[in-house]
Amino acid sequence: MPDERTRTEQQNASMLPPDAPIPEMEARGPYERFINWAADLPWWAIILGVVAVIVLYSMLTSAAYRRVLRYLTDSPETSTENLYKAVLVVGERVEIVGEYAGETGDTVVTVINQLLKNEANPTLVSKAGFLVNETPARLTLQTDSGLILLPKDNIVEEEREEIDGKVLVRVTYTQSRTVIGTITAINDKTMRIRTVDEEKETFPTSRVLSREVVETTPCDHEAEPDCQDTQIVTIQRRGETFTGTLTTLSNTNLSIALDDGGSRELKMRDVEYFTVAALTRAFSPDAVERTVTDGDTVRIGYEESDVAEDFLASLSEKDRVRVPLVYSEGEAEVELVRYDDVDALLADTANGELDGMLYIAPGPQHPQVDAWVESHPDANLAELATQVCQSGCRITVKLVDDEITGRVAAEDKDTITVVTTEPEYAEVAQADILERRKMEPGTCALNNLRGCNAGIFLTLRVTFQAYGLALIIGLIVGIMRVQTNPMTFRSKLMQTFFTSASTLYVEVVRGIPLLVILLYAGFVVSPYLRDHPINMPDVLVVVMNAILAVLNAPLKLWNSLGIAYIGDLGTFPDPIRVNLNDEQEAVLGLAFGYGAFVAEIFRAGIQSISRGQMEAARSLGMSYPQAMRYVVLPQAIRTVLPPLGNDFIAMLKDSALISVLALPDLLQLGRLYISRTFRAFEGYNSVAVLYLLMTLFLSMLVRIIERRSRLPG
Amino acid sequence: MSEKKEPIIQVRNVHKQFHTLHGTVHALRGVSMDVMPGEVVLIVGPSGSGKSTLLRCINRLEAVDSGEIIVDGIPLKGARNINKVRAEVGMVFQQFNLFPDRTALDNIILAQRVVRKRSKAEAEEKARYLLAKVGIPEKADVYPGQLSGGQQQRVAIARALAMDPKIMLFDEPTSALDPEMIKEVLDVMLELAREGMTMVVVSHEMGFAKAAADRAVFMDAGQIVEEAPPEILFENPSHERTKLFLSKIL
Ligand SMILES: Nc1ncnc2c1ncn2[C@@H]1O[C@H](COP(=O)(O)OP(=O)(O)OP(=O)(O)O)[C@@H](O)[C@H]1O
Ligand SMILES: [Mg+2]
Repeated sequence: MPDERTRTEQQNASMLPPDAPIPEMEARGPYERFINWAADLPWWAIILGVVAVIVLYSMLTSAAYRRVLRYLTDSPETSTENLYKAVLVVGERVEIVGEYAGETGDTVVTVINQLLKNEANPTLVSKAGFLVNETPARLTLQTDSGLILLPKDNIVEEEREEIDGKVLVRVTYTQSRTVIGTITAINDKTMRIRTVDEEKETFPTSRVLSREVVETTPCDHEAEPDCQDTQIVTIQRRGETFTGTLTTLSNTNLSIALDDGGSRELKMRDVEYFTVAALTRAFSPDAVERTVTDGDTVRIGYEESDVAEDFLASLSEKDRVRVPLVYSEGEAEVELVRYDDVDALLADTANGELDGMLYIAPGPQHPQVDAWVESHPDANLAELATQVCQSGCRITVKLVDDEITGRVAAEDKDTITVVTTEPEYAEVAQADILERRKMEPGTCALNNLRGCNAGIFLTLRVTFQAYGLALIIGLIVGIMRVQTNPMTFRSKLMQTFFTSASTLYVEVVRGIPLLVILLYAGFVVSPYLRDHPINMPDVLVVVMNAILAVLNAPLKLWNSLGIAYIGDLGTFPDPIRVNLNDEQEAVLGLAFGYGAFVAEIFRAGIQSISRGQMEAARSLGMSYPQAMRYVVLPQAIRTVLPPLGNDFIAMLKDSALISVLALPDLLQLGRLYISRTFRAFEGYNSVAVLYLLMTLFLSMLVRIIERRSRLPG
Repeated sequence: MSEKKEPIIQVRNVHKQFHTLHGTVHALRGVSMDVMPGEVVLIVGPSGSGKSTLLRCINRLEAVDSGEIIVDGIPLKGARNINKVRAEVGMVFQQFNLFPDRTALDNIILAQRVVRKRSKAEAEEKARYLLAKVGIPEKADVYPGQLSGGQQQRVAIARALAMDPKIMLFDEPTSALDPEMIKEVLDVMLELAREGMTMVVVSHEMGFAKAAADRAVFMDAGQIVEEAPPEILFENPSHERTKLFLSKIL
């Protein structure tokens, strides 16, 4: 193909007759070309373009949009060390060499199974050697065959004996060990696994009350003269103080919405104290009994303070109570009397001057009220109660002081970072890996796209997979639909069967909404397959296992070379259990639904190539496959590519439907974000813009393909 | 004309039916015909008389229902390598059927490479030679869509000749062409006839018939009605149907 393209260009160049007028100077740089192009646009397109740029710019610079976009793209990091979460069985490979001295009458199968079992569970090994070094995790021994390093986890039995001041250790250990952790670096020879994650905490230096060095590990000054000793310190910290709006308050828990946007759940036992508005209310004993009649005036006293004024204002605003209050049931009126001092307020309520009182001040307790009550034991106040605001009020919380122990990793005048748990790493040679129990993609990052499983990544992955499958379905069905050529298709029965089966598929699938097909895939087909294992006839199992054994032999050989583990085909499952996950259901549903459209494109593409093309090719002596390969298909692909591209774009958009299968695709993540933050405008805008960017890019590609596939003349 | 006794094409009592949704068409009803090597045979007849079908059967683009066709000593029915036979028989279509996504040169090169397994250089040399022979060497790198009808048909002839066929079949090669282009195509065909190519031509071009044809065949309703040298057939036909047909076209 490439030489064909260059030929086209050469030919275009040579097409100009020598005496043709010199064409207008073509713009050279991309900038000039862009300006020329823009100058030709109609005025409305220019306005639209400018608006679009402004909108895009404001979206990309606004913090709200940045947060949504980050969320929708699975919050990828630029680079990560968490490549995989892995569970690996590592050990030396045991080779079983020897003769089978079988006098037991075992069958060959038993013998082979026994051998294989030994390989899978490496035998225990016993060794003896002098102790060289011992750490909490490892033992180093000097044996006849050299130094050996043993992880203590692998030691099954151990015996020590002192000989001439040296310790002779006899150990029995398993040769394999299980490494669980996060792969941080990987190449074809080794991988580095973080078996213990680092734990650290960063807090403001203002919280530090005192610090004390508990342990110092001197560093190797000989090797590195400038190095710093590692110190483990214990820091006494003042409890953190939070201010914000109270969301819930109970005896055990307290949660607040912080002023800077976040929220905190706190346990009451961690809280040293908190301040939040409280309301003390009391009545004069007479007033409790009194019935209010028309024309009465109820006198309520309150202490003058901003809090109280605010409270009354909010009361009038929220509950539509007029201030000064008017008793709503009749003509009685409420008179609000302002006091400067709580003591006077309490005294006047007690002596009947006031019917009731309100005192709003920071709580939870009102010690001033308590003090007054204590010092006036005979004062008569009815229904005296202090009520703490339960939610919606300003709150300040101070946590109890605590301490933290660890290595100070970073410190400046504002913050300090203490590592409480140091990470631990293990190097594992790829060749030593006996079994990969688990390899799960780790954190989503640009250097680890495998770990990106949600949002735009899921949308793209599902679309690509489903489209690939749809292409295969479409090609097969499409060819079945055009098999009417008498030159190739002689069996009338087969022809009728093929065409009617494929037509049935196309018509049925095109007539059902894609959403319904997806729901079928997810809630009908997949559960059915899960619940109905398919039993295979024994003969087939035996034959297939034999074939698989042959196919597995080179794979096993390759794996044993330790260059890159690729696994093997395993054994033939019996019964076959089809257990589709949500993503596979979505892929199958989309592919099945789109296969029909793709089939129609292929059919039209093949039929658009006139019969004469095939006949001309065959009259030149080409066989049917040759004619297809060299004459019909290249032309068919030309006609088929642009509509196929359009279908890809359509599928990308329709992939939004898979959110009904509870998959976290782009749309679903957008909806999650919105239900959490109620930012529907920004949320849906971002979803739409991401889809739009992808489809615009793709339709540009399709346009280019279209132009490239157009024939001259 | 030919000294060889064995005919290169033998058509023996061939029947061909087409079954369509609208019924059965009996396109050939017992056609028999021999063509000697180097002979130029012209087939004329009204539309639907089975001329194209006969050519297509000779090239095995259609299988015959009964009867036998032997090309170059090989019976087509059940021939094991029909593609080999086809490569020996070049065919030129009324609608040219050039490959629109390939340049004129590539059109001629393709089958040489695929079927004859010639090297790229050899195939290209041959293609250029043939383009020169049909009079359009300068159109080598032009796509069919940029060629006139006459030029396209000449490329199609060159494409068939590139396979070094022993026989050339022409199915109304000039009837889709404007009058001024007909001559350039006929000139190429005359040249071929002069070089001794065995040709079976469906055409109503009297000029070509008189100048090049050794024999003319008149077909009607799937049968050969009359066979004679062109001068005799056109000027003095013995059958009424021939006369009637000629009176319409002349
Ligand atoms: N593939 C086909 N399927 C069905 N019928 C066919 C097919 N090809 C030819 N026929 C029929 O066979 C008959 C002979 O056709 P043919 O094309 O051989 O005639 P022709 O003599 O070449 O006519 P024309 O001068 O119009 O080209 C016609 O009635 C035509 O309709
Ligand atoms: Mg015809």
